[in-house]
Amino acid sequence: MNKRLTIVLLLILSTWVIAPAALCGKDTIKIGINAPMTGDIPKVGEGTKFAARMWLSDIKAAGGLKVGGKLYQVELVIEDNESKAESAVKVNIKMITEDEVLVIVGPQASKQAVPAGDVANNYRTAMITPWSTNPDTTKDRPYVFRGCFLDPFQGPVLANFITEEFRFKKAAVLYDVASDYPKGLAEFFKKAWEGLHGKGSVVAFESFTTKDPDFSSQLTKIKRSGAEVLFTPQYYNEVALIVQQAHELGWNKPIVGSDSWGSAETVQLCGKECFGLFFSAHYAAAGATGATKAFIDRYKKEHGYVPDDVAALTWDSLLIVQEAIQACGAITGNLDKDRRCVRDALARIKKFDGITGQMTFTEDGDPIKCVVIVKISDKGEYEFYKSVCP
Amino acid sequence: MFSHVPLLGWLLGAAIAVSLEHFLGTSLALALGLPKIPVLFGFVIMLKKPVLIPGAILYVLLIYFLSIGVTARLSASPANRLAAKLLSLPPWFSVAVHLGLLYATLHMWSGMSAYRVITLKLTLIAVMVTLSLNVINGYMGEFSCSHPGFMALGAYGASVFTVVLFVNDRLFGPSLLPAALAPFMFPVALIVGGMVAALGALAIAIPSFKTRGDYLAIISLAFMFIVKSMIENLEVVGGPRGLSSQPDCANLPTVFLWTVACVWIINNFVRSTLGKALNAVRDEETAASAMTVNTRRTKMVAFLFGAFWAGVAGGLFAHVLRYVNPSTFGIQKLAEVLAMVYFGGLNSVYGSIVGAVGLSLLSEALRPLEILKWIIIPLLLILLMIFRPTGLIAFKEFNVKNLIAPKQKREEEM
Amino acid sequence: MVFFFQNLVNALQWGSFYALIALGYSMVYGILMLFNFAHGDIFMVGAYIGFGVATGLVALASMGALALPTWLILVLTIIITMFLTSLVGMMVERVAYRPLREAPRASAAITGLMVGIILETGNLALLGARRVRFPTLIESTTYDIGGVFVTNKKIMIVVVSLLLMLALDQFVRRTKWGMAMRAMAFDYAIVPLMGVPINTIAALTFAVGSGLAAAAGILFGVAYPVLDPYMGIVFGWKAFVAAILGGRGSILGATLAGFLLGFIEIFVAMIFPSTLRDLIAYSIILLILTFRPHGFFGEPYSARLRL
Repeated sequence: MNKRLTIVLLLILSTWVIAPAALCGKDTIKIGINAPMTGDIPKVGEGTKFAARMWLSDIKAAGGLKVGGKLYQVELVIEDNESKAESAVKVNIKMITEDEVLVIVGPQASKQAVPAGDVANNYRTAMITPWSTNPDTTKDRPYVFRGCFLDPFQGPVLANFITEEFRFKKAAVLYDVASDYPKGLAEFFKKAWEGLHGKGSVVAFESFTTKDPDFSSQLTKIKRSGAEVLFTPQYYNEVALIVQQAHELGWNKPIVGSDSWGSAETVQLCGKECFGLFFSAHYAAAGATGATKAFIDRYKKEHGYVPDDVAALTWDSLLIVQEAIQACGAITGNLDKDRRCVRDALARIKKFDGITGQMTFTEDGDPIKCVVIVKISDKGEYEFYKSVCP
Repeated sequence: MFSHVPLLGWLLGAAIAVSLEHFLGTSLALALGLPKIPVLFGFVIMLKKPVLIPGAILYVLLIYFLSIGVTARLSASPANRLAAKLLSLPPWFSVAVHLGLLYATLHMWSGMSAYRVITLKLTLIAVMVTLSLNVINGYMGEFSCSHPGFMALGAYGASVFTVVLFVNDRLFGPSLLPAALAPFMFPVALIVGGMVAALGALAIAIPSFKTRGDYLAIISLAFMFIVKSMIENLEVVGGPRGLSSQPDCANLPTVFLWTVACVWIINNFVRSTLGKALNAVRDEETAASAMTVNTRRTKMVAFLFGAFWAGVAGGLFAHVLRYVNPSTFGIQKLAEVLAMVYFGGLNSVYGSIVGAVGLSLLSEALRPLEILKWIIIPLLLILLMIFRPTGLIAFKEFNVKNLIAPKQKREEEM
Repeated sequence: MVFFFQNLVNALQWGSFYALIALGYSMVYGILMLFNFAHGDIFMVGAYIGFGVATGLVALASMGALALPTWLILVLTIIITMFLTSLVGMMVERVAYRPLREAPRASAAITGLMVGIILETGNLALLGARRVRFPTLIESTTYDIGGVFVTNKKIMIVVVSLLLMLALDQFVRRTKWGMAMRAMAFDYAIVPLMGVPINTIAALTFAVGSGLAAAAGILFGVAYPVLDPYMGIVFGWKAFVAAILGGRGSILGATLAGFLLGFIEIFVAMIFPSTLRDLIAYSIILLILTFRPHGFFGEPYSARLRL
């Protein structure tokens, strides 16, 4: 072989090998996103990813994240946890030890957030889960935070609201027994309702299993029970089916939902069947003002639909993280030190004005927020109805 | 060139490669322009940052291929002599030396990164599950769908045992025994988990082994749904919220030892008279029955045996993650385990090991591809099934003696 | 009593889906002795194709290009979708099952499972994670018959399913192709010797099965208008239970088993706390199989797994 050619080839190869080293700057802050892109809830993963990318483009537009007078580049490490517990744990470990992220946002569902939180806590890396409502996620874990309110708060709020608004005495509940968020909320609602109206005032407490599309049997039972209102803390895809089937079975009393209704898809999938119903939410998209409205409009422009609560909560969580990093003062490059600093800064944040409302954090890292009661208008918009604060 | 390198030589090579990585890995990686040591043979980094592909390939070639190849080649004759000497000693000793070397290699390899540790642990657990399903689907020739159910039973059985005894828990109150005892009682916990799974298996075995046919498939599927629904309704163990805060007992040596025990016992089982009877039942039940094989009992024993190991694997799984919840053990898990068994090969211990390790690592390596990963892996499996319908390594006996024996050249044997 | 009849009506609708999907499953299972684990996902693909066709037709109709009444749109959607999904089914057979004809039966089941995963993920990759709403083809009208609420949709679904089942029965019993299928179910090895090409029959079987799944998909879209890429999984596995429960190759058996499954699920939730529904429903199936281990119409046979 031609000797010169060999040398040239070798040179090219070596530059290809060596060059990337120059590209990897030291002044980057890495933030891990642990999201379910595939598996049971791909929609949640998509919302997370979109919100995170929007946040990143904001930072990029500003030239980087300013910490202590210095601009840092930000890199997002988005990993798919396949909506599996073991996968979420692997992803967290990988992000902490391999990608050396400063802080983790996610996982969203409690099934993944509980074991992944353990990992984050053990490796002393701050993690904030925007959407997991299970108390175990943050309990006794100084490094784990969350961005959403807990079920024990939302249940009583709704029970009070229905009592004051409609003066009903008998309620029915329909929930997904295999999913911990609806189940927890259903139980807290039941407790609160029975606290108000005495034992046995929840006349039907019916359940189904994730992915069931047919609720006719449960709804028939509910209808017969003589309940005056149906409470169903389900996700938007199920809400559309539940409401439609209830109406087909001759149910014409109110149906009330929880924050999990708060997605643009609820109305899209449900159509006019859902008009006039109430649910609790982190924010009301139709009546939104200021930053919330800006976020919604921008998201809608970029991705074609109004963001659901996962996207909004992820956005808020990222802003909280941003604030914590900036509060840290300086990024030293010593990862352990920086991580501890971010955690401490997160724990110090006592008040935060997010697009999902103003929140204050408790000792456990759980926020306290106001709940907004939203009415679906006759145009299918989410109208602000009432705000309930703890 | 490498045909006469004994297993001992390969293991030595791997050990050297790993120690090389341990001492030189970081500086080599930096020299090659990689930010740090490629964690899974360079796959993850290659898919994330294509610019780094040549560096990663070069790294893997230098650290793994080159050093393993050179060591294996050079040490071939001393390794052969050593293996021969070991073989003249009691067999357990030689096996222990090999396993010790294997463990040392794995330990050093995974010592580099916590991500490797968790990947390795879950891979070893996958090996156990795959192997135990192979006993039923491969050696017995039935089609069982209940393995996630058995894993769930094992996971919950073992977790309840350890959490009740050693952990101050919200659900079960204060611990009964000091937490320091937990590692010692952990084997008991796993065996309890296995027993619970085997008991559950009895519920399937009694109705389904009266006849031959596909009814086991649906009975076992129904069983899987039942187990999931039952755990969801058991508020004592947390319902759909799951059970967390298991003691941290499942470290790498524990998982490794249990996996070795599982491979060893299952291998002995399938090579025993009972195992042969099982194959006979699969191939011709009437004939087997005529040859005095008690077909029903044989099938029952094998089924319970498989369920037991799935339960043990489930117990380990729960303690590695330190959290279980019922929705982990659903149809998704079933598809995963079935794929591993048929990918590796039916009726073969080798096959199960290769299948479980292969698919676990593949799905870890392709993670950066997100959605595409779940198109590529099934496509690969379909292609494999078309070209090797019984899986990669099917119907091959796992002979430990042959494996650890020295490999002489033909002429030298003469 | 009203309560009971209401649940009966619910169960009839719910059972129709299981029965239709189980029929497609049972065709492949009875004739080719294969577990078609991709069937649930073919159902999903059928629903999505139906969604596409219906949306297109509705759009055309609203633009005035086609002056069609809604019922005709529904009929057209069903026919076009059944045809298109049959092509998908035949393709699945060609890719995943035909190359494995000589392989162990279970290996073919695994390729089917993998094809299913590809269909799900492919859908996710193409259409994104959004759920889609099936267009409203029938305006829902509710009739109150002495306290029992029946919608026109429910009647339509049950009637169409029964018609399809009858049509299938006639097809299998009366036509030449149907005869060939039955021959193949009877003896796999001898059929080629009689001059009936196995590949054609296998493809046809898949086409018929997928067509039924597509019809089920559209009816599903009419009744439960929310579609997502993973909706076929649970249906697929439950239809698998129903198909085998019905007995190998028995159309009546699969139909009955499908309805039975639907009835069990609805009535268990009616009588017991609905939390325990799966637990009790599947325990009942376990019990049935304990006492009737060959399913309803299946004969005792010794299936060699061809390992």
